Amino acid sequence: MQNQEGQLAADGETEVTCGIEDWANFGGGGDGDIMQQQSSVPFVGDKEPLSALAAEYQSGSPILLQKIEMLGDKYVAIRRTRGDGNCFFRSFMFSYLEHILEKQDRVEVDRIKANVEECRKTLQSLGYVDFTFEDFFALFLEQLDDVLQGNETSISHEELLNRSREQSVSDYVVMFFRFVTSGEIRKRSEFFEPFVFGLTNTTVEQFCKSAVEPMGEESDHVHITALSDALGVPIRVVYLDRSSCDAGGVSVNHHDFVPVPGNLPSATGAGSESIDPFITLLYRPGHYDILYPK
Amino acid sequence: MQASRARLFKEYKEVQREKVADPDIQLACDDTNIFKWTALIKGPSETPFEGGVFQLVFSVPEQYPLQPPQVRFLTKIFHPNVHFKTGEICLDILKNAWSPAWTLQSVCRAIIALMAHPEPDSPLNCDSGNLLRSGDNRGYQSMARMYTRLAASPKKGNFGNEQAVILLMNLANPGDDGYRCSGLDLEVGI
Repeated sequence: MQNQEGQLAADGETEVTCGIEDWANFGGGGDGDIMQQQSSVPFVGDKEPLSALAAEYQSGSPILLQKIEMLGDKYVAIRRTRGDGNCFFRSFMFSYLEHILEKQDRVEVDRIKANVEECRKTLQSLGYVDFTFEDFFALFLEQLDDVLQGNETSISHEELLNRSREQSVSDYVVMFFRFVTSGEIRKRSEFFEPFVFGLTNTTVEQFCKSAVEPMGEESDHVHITALSDALGVPIRVVYLDRSSCDAGGVSVNHHDFVPVPGNLPSATGAGSESIDPFITLLYRPGHYDILYPK
Repeated sequence: MQASRARLFKEYKEVQREKVADPDIQLACDDTNIFKWTALIKGPSETPFEGGVFQLVFSVPEQYPLQPPQVRFLTKIFHPNVHFKTGEICLDILKNAWSPAWTLQSVCRAIIALMAHPEPDSPLNCDSGNLLRSGDNRGYQSMARMYTRLAASPKKGNFGNEQAVILLMNLANPGDDGYRCSGLDLEVGI
């Protein structure tokens, strides 16, 4: 992971110096360096047992190995996503749609659809032109309907995985989340301002334009908070890094992003522990994957 | 492919409605190919490009709007962030900062803004960038203004020779889709 991060940063830098050779490559229809470097890994991988994760660190940090063993108490499997800067949104997409497909939770679908409508109004009120985002909204709503069984267009779990690996669906849904996230941050810019400033030293608007809306821009806690709030979906993020407590005990930390009812800018993330998120992501510095509880 | 076509068609309809709204931009789609567009933009006032009309060519990729359109100046322009020979534009939103929230129309607006606010620290035209970086604003202004009059002015009465050269170049390179001055080093003739 460290390696990929380094590459990402390096690629980002070369893009600033607009050499003419860039231009020559530009017409090739390529996805750009960031997208291409990892094209061997599918957007969304297969479900793997937790032991696959341990194997990665076999000769690595003992703290990490110890933490992975502890993860085994609560979690059984991991599903990797491509490290192309969209991994948080892509993990969220698959995890959410898979949950709906398995639980057939129509109440949840109705609930999120209402939130999606709100997001549409938010973008409109912020001055976004309808045609710039409506295709992305439509595609997400289509996926929601399709994972519910009993329609002509209903899809299987296998088909959901296929679609999540197909750029024309997967990237469009990721972009839908980016629009939603950006709209939420800009709508509540006063609330997000200090977080954004602490992260990038820019204005909220500049942050949304340069770090939220463009594909391939990595997500931070600001993105996660905004998406969770906008869609009303709680998200648990489990942190796997080398940190350990001085007290001698190694423990695996997690943080629950709990949407605030009515978007009150007072208590994001804190508050009621009663809601158990059905989306659990594994965070390793620079990357998100999906984690499956027992 | 279908998605990009549908999106471009929406932009086409929007352009028809906006024509009156933004007198500085005239965006038009190729009659036979919705992935090819051209635009005429007015040089912003109080810049050395004032009074000039600049032509841009757009080539839209099939993955649009997930990927940015390729845009370049067809009209010669002396600007730190535009390649003097090819017309390539160095602008973040045309590269890594692109998002589908942009449209061909708003890209034109961003290019007009870039004309008014050059970024000499990431130059494609080093001569132009160096003038600004060395603080020779007057030198930059006068070069830029000269090329505006030379290449971007609707009436070129004072530059009859120049017009003839351009005409010759077009005749010489008929297959070259639009490099009005490709291969010609304008500085030599002046």
